[in-house]
Amino acid sequence: MFKLFSTSNIYFLIQKLINFINSIFFLILIIGLTFALVLSPPDYIQGDSVRIMYVHVPAAWLGLACFAFITFLSILNFIFKIRNFYFINKSIAPIGLLFTCLAIITGSLWGQPTWGTWWAWDARLTSMFVLMLFYIFYILAFKLLNGEELIVKVSSIIAIIGSINLPIIKYSVEWWTTLHQPASIKIVGPSSVHPSMLLPLLVMLLVFLLYGALIFLMKYKTEIIRIKKKNIKRI
Amino acid sequence: MITEFLAMNGYGLYVWLSFGLVFISCVVFYLKTKKTLRKYESDFLSELHNLSVKEKSKALENSKIAQQILATNSKMN
Repeated sequence: MFKLFSTSNIYFLIQKLINFINSIFFLILIIGLTFALVLSPPDYIQGDSVRIMYVHVPAAWLGLACFAFITFLSILNFIFKIRNFYFINKSIAPIGLLFTCLAIITGSLWGQPTWGTWWAWDARLTSMFVLMLFYIFYILAFKLLNGEELIVKVSSIIAIIGSINLPIIKYSVEWWTTLHQPASIKIVGPSSVHPSMLLPLLVMLLVFLLYGALIFLMKYKTEIIRIKKKNIKRI
Repeated sequence: MITEFLAMNGYGLYVWLSFGLVFISCVVFYLKTKKTLRKYESDFLSELHNLSVKEKSKALENSKIAQQILATNSKMN
């Protein structure tokens, strides 16, 4: 069982997954873009600006999901000291930061035609901005600190404190009066998004997921090579 | 028809800028990640080549990862 999770087995699995994602990615990307830009209908109020949703929403969801996952692994690493989690978190954080930044920028581009402003310091936008800052602090902990133990401690603390912001982001549109609309898609309960828009959104979510997975696998592979290089004489 | 499609009923600037920015950021980030991976692979190989013949053959014998990196690199060259 433990042999299954050996570094070399993980390395080969990563290579296979990268090849698999590369083989299907462009097909799904083309399907997603065709749905998002051509086949899906314009919104009856927002018109064609609603198409920004197909990049904004998946980016925001994955930005949040990456941070939640980082927090979960940080807690596990803090308790059980599993070194692999350190490398997984280090590989996920830049993807989470990229998606969060893209969600903020595309949100701003959607806000201008919809609300008449690029930015407002309302609860949802501000809490997303705070999430971006936590990602930056988290990544800086890896870049600026020396010693794995210290990095694990500091980055875990940043992740745990930052995770308090996650429910604030989720419920900000319900707790406060914001420019941002309330959630239209719910995990439990009916969704208010029409299937003709929901399908493109889900396909684009898959595109973002595959892209995120591809970057994560490449970064994780880099980490494995870095460790192997350090210990090359001990191989 | 193409002009209409590009104009997106007056929202073209916002829609294309959003999709364009996402696309460009993702491509740049992908290329940067790939470049770093290639750099680490070539650094690993130069470390491997700096080892003595005995150490090198031992490393290649014991590490499937070293074999894989060497194989990938020879394919690319």
